[in-house]
Amino acid sequence: MREPHPKRKNYLGIMGWIWGGNYRIERYLYTLHRVTGLGILLFFLVHLCVTTFFRMQQQSWEAAMEILHNPWFKLGEYLVVLAFAYHSLNGLRLIIQELGFGMGKPAPPIYPYRDSLRKSRRWSMALVGTAALIALVFLYDFLVGG
Amino acid sequence: MKNAYLWLAQLVTGILVAVTLGIHMVWMHLDNILSALGIDANEPTSWSSMIQRSRDIVWATLYIALLAFVLYHALYGLRNILFELVQSRGIRRAVTWGILAFGILAFAWGTYVPVILLIK
Repeated sequence: MREPHPKRKNYLGIMGWIWGGNYRIERYLYTLHRVTGLGILLFFLVHLCVTTFFRMQQQSWEAAMEILHNPWFKLGEYLVVLAFAYHSLNGLRLIIQELGFGMGKPAPPIYPYRDSLRKSRRWSMALVGTAALIALVFLYDFLVGG
Repeated sequence: MKNAYLWLAQLVTGILVAVTLGIHMVWMHLDNILSALGIDANEPTSWSSMIQRSRDIVWATLYIALLAFVLYHALYGLRNILFELVQSRGIRRAVTWGILAFGILAFAWGTYVPVILLIK
């Protein structure tokens, strides 16, 4: 194996997305944020092709839509909805926290240590809960035939 | 400093995508709930409904704006991930130019089609 660059000896690459050490829930929210982001990007590229190349003639549009109304594609579309609900709400959390809001006041590092993210954990939980709620609303419409 | 502004633009486009894509998702997927609320989405994936939206300047503007926001937000995010995985300056430059060229092409094509349908 090649020796890692001395400045990057703790570099984990993609493996770090799966396991970076004994981290808290935010670490896994980060992994899920990346995976959902890449998933939505992949869907978006296919979606852009379908909605532009098959849009000029009624026949080709209806043929394409018939394929996409297959239950497996519906399931795939629902996964995109889930990914969007998660990615947008977690993104909102990231924006709020990265701009420094809701982090609490700095405190001296005395055991048991408190990290600032933990103070806003109930907000993380509320966002995950809201994402689940949105997912259920969309699930209802998918099931009744949306 | 340039990177800070590019990152800030990703935050701003993120919020704009959440709003515009939220409208798109609700309109396309919650048609049953919308009709219960008295809003008729008119079977959103049907040809007639799609053409009706295509000829509406508000929908066309919304779609083109969504396309621009999504392309910036997603391709900048992809560039960040790729930059984490490769260290070579040459490859990073190629990634930047490749992504930029792809984004411009996708935006041009994705704008051309709705504009043609709008004026047809």
